[in-house]
Amino acid sequence: MSDDDHHFDSKADAGASKTYPQQAGTIRKNAYIVIKQRPCKVVEVSTSKTGKHGHAKCHFVGIDIFTGKKLEDIVPSSHNCDVPEVVRTDYQLIDISEDGFVSLLTESGDTKDDLRLPTDDQLLTQIKDGFGDGKDLVVTVMSAMGEEQICALKDIGPKN
Amino acid sequence: MGMEQPAWQQQGMLGSDMERLMVTMQAVEQACSGLQEPNNRAAAEATLLAFRRSSHPVQACQYILEHSHLATARFQAAATMQEAAVREWTLLSAEDKNSLRTYCLHYVMARAEAGEPFVQSKVLAVAAVLLKRGWLDSVATEKESFFNEVRVAVLGTHGPAAQRSGIALLESLVSEFSPSTASAMGLPAEFHEHCRASLELDYLQQFYSWAQDAAVSSAERAFQGVGTPLDVNVCSAALHLMSQILNWEFQGTLVRGPNGSIVVGKNRSNAFTSSMGRESIKRPGEHASVVQPGPAWHDTLLPPNRVGWVLELYARIRQGGLGGSGWIDSPFAVNARQLIVQLCSLSGSIFPVDGNTTQDLHLQRLMSGISPWLDPPEHIVRAIKSGTSESEFLDGCRALVAVASLTSPSAFDQLLRGGPRPVGTLNLLASLTCEIIKASGAQNNEEETWTGEALDILLDSWTVLLQPVDLSKRIPFPPNGIDAAAAVFHAYVETHVKAAAASAHEEGDDTEQLRAAIAARDEHLSAIALVARAAPSATVPLLAMLISERCTWLPQCTGGRVDPTSVLEELHWLLLMSGHVLADSGDGETPLVPESLSALSPGTADPVNHPAVLLSQASIDLARQSLETSIREVFSPRLMEAVVWFFGRWVDTYLMPADAGRGPNSTPSSNEGELPGQIASNTGQFDGRNSLVVAFGEEGGGKAVLETLVRVAVTALTAWPGERTLQEIVCFQFLPALVRRRNICAHLVTMEAWQELAHAFAYQQPTLSALAAPIQRALSEALCKSAAGMSSGDATNQYVKDLLGPITGSITGLSKREDFQTFAQQPDVILQVSCLMERLRGAARATLPRSQKAIFEVGAAVMEPLLILLQTYKHQSSVVYLLLKYVVDWVDGQVAFLEAKETAILFHFCVRLLEIYSAHNIGKVSVSKSMNLISESQTEKYKDLRVLLQLLTNLSSKDLIDFACDLNGEVENPDVAQVVYLGLHIITPLMSVDLLKYPKLCRQYFTLLAHMLEVYPEKVAKLSTEGFGRIVGTLDFGLRHQDVEVVNMSLTALNAVAFYHYHAVCRGQEGLGAHALSTPGPDGAPKEGVLAHFLRSVMQFLLFEDYSNELVEPAADALLPLILCNTGLYQKLAQELLEGQKNAILQSRLATAFHVLLNSNNVSSSLDRNNRRRFRENLYLFLSDVRGFLRTR
Repeated sequence: MSDDDHHFDSKADAGASKTYPQQAGTIRKNAYIVIKQRPCKVVEVSTSKTGKHGHAKCHFVGIDIFTGKKLEDIVPSSHNCDVPEVVRTDYQLIDISEDGFVSLLTESGDTKDDLRLPTDDQLLTQIKDGFGDGKDLVVTVMSAMGEEQICALKDIGPKN
Repeated sequence: MGMEQPAWQQQGMLGSDMERLMVTMQAVEQACSGLQEPNNRAAAEATLLAFRRSSHPVQACQYILEHSHLATARFQAAATMQEAAVREWTLLSAEDKNSLRTYCLHYVMARAEAGEPFVQSKVLAVAAVLLKRGWLDSVATEKESFFNEVRVAVLGTHGPAAQRSGIALLESLVSEFSPSTASAMGLPAEFHEHCRASLELDYLQQFYSWAQDAAVSSAERAFQGVGTPLDVNVCSAALHLMSQILNWEFQGTLVRGPNGSIVVGKNRSNAFTSSMGRESIKRPGEHASVVQPGPAWHDTLLPPNRVGWVLELYARIRQGGLGGSGWIDSPFAVNARQLIVQLCSLSGSIFPVDGNTTQDLHLQRLMSGISPWLDPPEHIVRAIKSGTSESEFLDGCRALVAVASLTSPSAFDQLLRGGPRPVGTLNLLASLTCEIIKASGAQNNEEETWTGEALDILLDSWTVLLQPVDLSKRIPFPPNGIDAAAAVFHAYVETHVKAAAASAHEEGDDTEQLRAAIAARDEHLSAIALVARAAPSATVPLLAMLISERCTWLPQCTGGRVDPTSVLEELHWLLLMSGHVLADSGDGETPLVPESLSALSPGTADPVNHPAVLLSQASIDLARQSLETSIREVFSPRLMEAVVWFFGRWVDTYLMPADAGRGPNSTPSSNEGELPGQIASNTGQFDGRNSLVVAFGEEGGGKAVLETLVRVAVTALTAWPGERTLQEIVCFQFLPALVRRRNICAHLVTMEAWQELAHAFAYQQPTLSALAAPIQRALSEALCKSAAGMSSGDATNQYVKDLLGPITGSITGLSKREDFQTFAQQPDVILQVSCLMERLRGAARATLPRSQKAIFEVGAAVMEPLLILLQTYKHQSSVVYLLLKYVVDWVDGQVAFLEAKETAILFHFCVRLLEIYSAHNIGKVSVSKSMNLISESQTEKYKDLRVLLQLLTNLSSKDLIDFACDLNGEVENPDVAQVVYLGLHIITPLMSVDLLKYPKLCRQYFTLLAHMLEVYPEKVAKLSTEGFGRIVGTLDFGLRHQDVEVVNMSLTALNAVAFYHYHAVCRGQEGLGAHALSTPGPDGAPKEGVLAHFLRSVMQFLLFEDYSNELVEPAADALLPLILCNTGLYQKLAQELLEGQKNAILQSRLATAFHVLLNSNNVSSSLDRNNRRRFRENLYLFLSDVRGFLRTR
């Protein structure tokens, strides 16, 4: 096998909503997985066997990365699971509109205005307070399977 | 009661004292009932606590004790009285004290027949506390008259009720004077120590004799039926007291000094750790603790009639059935048995030096009394199965293990020969063990029961006999013992193979996978393996036969014709058992063939018939079957796990042994040039060792076996996809064992199967790329390690380059893609990158001096790509973590070898790595909907920090270990300190006290800190106030840490700083400069300099806190420079301590001790090695002298 025929070449421009198959036995804690059509972070994996001399199966406990709900699944360990593509993108915060939407600056210089403020209280206060104090804020937006949400915040110093 | 004043303080409002006492009693009673109701509990507790703390409550207590109908109220009153007496001791007159004590005794005597036991014993405990509190002040005659009274009571002059109370009082006394059960009195440790010594030396033996006399007389009355029913209770209590006294932690080092005072034998080990609450030290897995009173007890415990009396007493309890149908578990019988078991555990200087004659006679006497509890085994086990209580049987087993641990196997075997039913004790032990094994097999579905406990105890007996702690006792087993061991092993195998077959169809048990369960199973199997090794010529062939038999059945099961499940489970068990019998687990070392196996001669000229060869061969044949595709379908993952586990263990000991043919003690040169095969053919005789060499040695069958094993490993890794447990055992146990020794590697690298594996790995063939990332890492490590087998350094480097070249190619290729930023986020790419990182890391962990160059080149080639990856995956913490881990291991393997130019490259890379990492991680707040995910991200951060600390520690080791041969010296070595301080600067803001609570992180941080302060103190001095303050804060935290290692490192760090400062100041430099000076704090009060602050903490620590002995040395090293830097403060602290000491004698002792600390032994004010050593010795003396009375309890 030579260097340039890696098996992933064809998927070069795959969209962010896609999922990818991966063998269940190789999915570990803290990885992502799709359970019941929801993108989840795996918080617990345990394996058991179908009878002492049977084959291994994996028991996953996942947490929906958007809603925080707990989901579970059992898969034979040699079978494939779907793994979501989870992308995080940093944007600079430009404005917070009164109806609860934020205005973000993309890397290419455009604005992105279709995101709501997060519902998480702590993050919400920090964004509002930081913005109110005139700080320069960068927010991280997490997207997977066609959904998006602000998930983190970084203060890169006061506005000049 | 709300906010009102407590009733017992409302003195003015009530008329007479009587009424006041009444009110108090009602309040206490109300509170006691209030405790039962959840709603009132808080208020009730508050009332009772207030009562306990009230001043002069004694009168009220006595009133309650006499008048209250509520037992709990009386109990509270007694407890209050105890607390108050200790608290107000100095305020009481001698008369008060005496009358209080007498009151307690009379109270108990008066109610001897009616009182609730728990109130009675509490009141007695009060008396014991009072007695102990005044123990060292009261004169001998006073004690004598008191104990005379007690003696009279115990001996029964005042009737059985008083007798029982007297015995109970003695029990309270013994427990109060024993340091581990003593109650707190706010007195120095030395006080408790003196009381203990005094009781042990002057009274304990008397108490024992009184109890014995009381037991004898009351038992006599009870058996003749002339006494009251209480007599049984008295006798039982007396027996209990006797066994409690034997439980005393005998010191045996007590000597009476010339002036009649007791000299407490003090050694360094007990001067610093407080003995309070210490658990008695038991050897692991032992069911009997050793009782070691000194020679003085000889006449009290050993006379035949005394021992005989206890045995006879118990025999009569058995026959007469005193205590009804449940006699076996009645306190009377239990106490008697307990005492007998303790008598079995007697050892040490109580026996005269007469070649064990006395001890053997003593044990024979006891064993003949105990044997009816155990013999005949079938009978007794059957009785227990049909409902008899098992407690007598278990006590018998405990006595057996106690005796076994004190005698040699042959002496043990003789113990019952002189008895009425002459039988070897070993035979008895064997038939007991067999019966229990059978009984446990019959009820394997039930919960852990008495059979489990009995088996544990019995196996312990075998272990102490076969593997005594004292190796001088390890003498050959008598022949009947060998047969007995064989019988036990047969029974065990039979039962367990049957049980395995029966359980084969059960659901897989998850708990079986837990580490604790595996450890427990292994411990059990090791114990039984020890038994098997005692009779190898019978046991090992049995296993071989059972495995071969089943091996031939397997092909018949193919194609679903026969259900193989039970055969598979049997084989699984047999392999586990065989692995334990044949070899010990080496834990990375190379365990030798067990002695009994290597000494065994096969009996014929053919080495193939050696039992160990037979068993190994049977297992190899089984493994070989898994290579055939047609039979493989029968092999379950679980059986394969056992196969690879077995060989992971077996390889270390048997395959191509490095010392082949040499005796265990021969020097390495003695057989130089002589091939193992020649030895065998020269002598023409095969003993065990060379039989094994011929079968599995380098010149013998070893190569063929190795080839088979490699194929088995590859098959196990690839033919059962998704079976992670199996793959883990292959990669974490089996392959590492194969590449552990260089002589095996030399064969591996030339072997076709191994080369195929290496090729498949290098070119990332799908079967191997589908393995989980950590498995790929281990595989990579094993493959790189095998490079050690190449003949030259160049060949080694080339081998590694060929192995890793395609991998670096993939990484570079990825990082150069134009669309990498988006492409990289695809899950399959993330997975691929993770696996590549793990492969690199495995290779880095396998860095050998010979392959270091190749690994450096590989690392250098991926440096730029890695920085791109770190940037790209800033949000994928798992990838970042793997990347950092790789760099850590890479630096660790490289740093000692690098020359200046390469070092510069490596340092430069690390600095950029740290910069990129911190740019993405400082000041970031991430949140999530779920608490669970938040704590996950916290853990991730912690793991990253640990890795970064590791990286810095590895980098800083460059200054210590440097193997590079830099001859030209043109390029200047980059300053390590500079790099590491930059790193610390980046890391400290990420560090928090919360994170320091993680033990591993904490250790790493303090290791690094201690190292940096020791090597580069001048750099610390230049830190900003804020940065310096941060380090001081963590040192403060470190000094108070639980972990000895952390405290040790904090002390080392302190030593380094103070040392540096003192030296600098002596030379007229400024040292720590402003950091050492006191500064005005925010509130105006001066904040003292750091060195002064730490002098205080270290003194406080040394004098008043509990710490391990090993910390004294580092503390001394830190203390001396601290004192020298702050002589003024030191004098002041010493003065404060002296003034705080009210007792004139102790004050002068303290003053002398302080004087000695700095003046004796020629301690000067220099910090050279000799002076520090002298100061350490002084500090030891100082502490052992002073801590005894400074620390209180």
